[in-house]
Amino acid sequence: MINVSELDERPGPFCMSYCFDAKNLINSFNTVGLINRPLIRRNGTGSIDIVTGYRRILALKLLNRKSIPCIELTDPDLSDRDLLLLNLHDNLYTRSFNNVEKGMILNRLLIYHTMEDIYSSFMGLLDISSRREADLLIRIQELDKYSKDIIASEPLSVKTIESILALEACSRSLALEWILKLKLNINQQMLFFDYFNDISIRDKKGLHELLHEEDFKDLINEDGRNTPQRAKRFIEILKTKRLPGLTRSEKAFAKQIYELCLPENVKIKHSPFFENSDYLLEISFKEGKKLKETLNALGGIQGLADFKDPWKV
Amino acid sequence: MEGLKGFMGDRLVKKIIIGEGARHYELSRDILKKLPDVQLSEEVHGDISYNRHKNMDLDKETLRLISFKGEFLKPCPGTKGYICCGYQILNIGTNCPMDCSYCILQAYFNKPSLRIFVNLEKELESIGEIIDSNPERIFRIGTGEFTDSLALDHITGWSRLLPAFLNKKRNAVLEFKTKTDNIDGLLSSQYRARIIVSWSLNSSDISAGEEHGAVSIKKRLIAAKRCQEEGFIVGFHFDPLINYREWADGYLKTIELLDRYIDPRKVIWISMGCLRYLPELKPIIRKRHPYTHILDGEFVNASDGKMRYFKPIRLEMYSFMNQNLNKWHSDLGLYLCMESNEVWLASFGWSPQDSNGLSCYLDKRVTKIYKN
Repeated sequence: MINVSELDERPGPFCMSYCFDAKNLINSFNTVGLINRPLIRRNGTGSIDIVTGYRRILALKLLNRKSIPCIELTDPDLSDRDLLLLNLHDNLYTRSFNNVEKGMILNRLLIYHTMEDIYSSFMGLLDISSRREADLLIRIQELDKYSKDIIASEPLSVKTIESILALEACSRSLALEWILKLKLNINQQMLFFDYFNDISIRDKKGLHELLHEEDFKDLINEDGRNTPQRAKRFIEILKTKRLPGLTRSEKAFAKQIYELCLPENVKIKHSPFFENSDYLLEISFKEGKKLKETLNALGGIQGLADFKDPWKV
Repeated sequence: MEGLKGFMGDRLVKKIIIGEGARHYELSRDILKKLPDVQLSEEVHGDISYNRHKNMDLDKETLRLISFKGEFLKPCPGTKGYICCGYQILNIGTNCPMDCSYCILQAYFNKPSLRIFVNLEKELESIGEIIDSNPERIFRIGTGEFTDSLALDHITGWSRLLPAFLNKKRNAVLEFKTKTDNIDGLLSSQYRARIIVSWSLNSSDISAGEEHGAVSIKKRLIAAKRCQEEGFIVGFHFDPLINYREWADGYLKTIELLDRYIDPRKVIWISMGCLRYLPELKPIIRKRHPYTHILDGEFVNASDGKMRYFKPIRLEMYSFMNQNLNKWHSDLGLYLCMESNEVWLASFGWSPQDSNGLSCYLDKRVTKIYKN
């Protein structure tokens, strides 16, 4: 049994846990108690390094245990690298890692391995799909705690993390704040950064300056929309700023269609980005009679002959 | 020639790597003789593809002499839904010592360094057979698709080899496409027949800001003038046209320079193409050229998967260029590179309808120019 006062809560040299919820472990301890004892070792200074079971120890501390049953590793042949790998494999078979943890592990492995070794031997174990992703995860430690907490707990794509890292340090938390506030999905996150990067270079504008523009402020202050609608509107505003000509044409097209007062079962569609010169007329009907009625009605729509490419309107 | 040292003096070629089976070719021996002080090594474990993500410098200071195993003559692949000119690409090497921010080659090849296909001369015979076995066809062949045709000419001697080869072919023309003024090799050649020397043109703003290592537009046109005076037919390619705030003024100035230096009656063709790129090129451009503004325009994902300017922007630019080039001279062989029938009609007022139509149009230009 080890007295809890001897067990440091700060992440030691083998720790690979970041931002976890102890609730499930506490429930488990309350139901069946501690099943697997943590592994520890005494380091050169006589204090204790937690090798495995960092989460278990923190959860037991939260339960106010005064002492914790641990297994002390005394084999002098076990190197720090061996102990790191021991903890890695102990974790691998019980859970998956979040991206911050993967970054922690890679950084720890880098003490003992070359990057080439890591690419060839550890990417598969850590479910890292490319060298580029591995390089990126290593850089997560550059981020502040707020950003790391979000990366560890929210569904952010690797591409989003890359975009966050590419931002100036002062803009990172702002970007994450908006992603959280609007609950942007992976696709929207990608569009957000894509549009922002282009606008920022074109207009020489930082993220703070951009997001303090009136339309974004209005979006946050208005009450009429729910979060998914706000997220959609957010991306639309960015798109309008990035692609003003296209947006104008889309609006002009929609206005033309609206003013035609087409029958409800008729739609006119344009090709993606108006790249194809043809438009598509779509009529939905159940019987020939309805089709004929619709065609007759279309024949009577005066504005139809004046329909033109929206940029010519 | 003044600009040549800037991007391709001996200082720039820091290393030569001889690929497997490449050493015994005459071109290899010539190159080694011309660059005796450059560090030399043999490629040991075959060709190594590289991690583009990490090797953003593209290793442009290394010259690799390669015995190329692929096809030397291939048709331009074109793109579905867009009209292609039916050009034949003569693959003499890959990559380029210049470093244009918009260059597609940054994303196109997964192998670094400047690569010279030293077995070209040996392969010319079989290329000749292809040309000879289709006497009814006109082969419009170019070497400037995967590299600059003349940037390495003082090292490779392509301008010595290829015109001599073409001289025997009645149904083919060869286009050297360049952004340099490295024309001494060509001018010293005794051959002129069916050789087209063409220059990529842009506005001087884009040339100065984005075409790193290339000579100025003025120098290109002075070189073109010299070629015309020496009996060569010339061509020009406004590709890529870039949409930026002062684009109209910028391109007009280049047309004015054309007027100053070039005899339009000895121009075989002038092509135009707005900037388009594969989506994977964008992050590479952003990394390699962080201060570039060439991606500022309104790009949309076109039906061929490439990013292109929103159509009305392209229409405006092509119409402007067509109008102003026609003011200069009414018979320049203007054509659009990889555009749709609709864009042709809307900006030029006529269309070749399809790739066959454009091929016929350009073949007629060849017949007309070389008959005169």
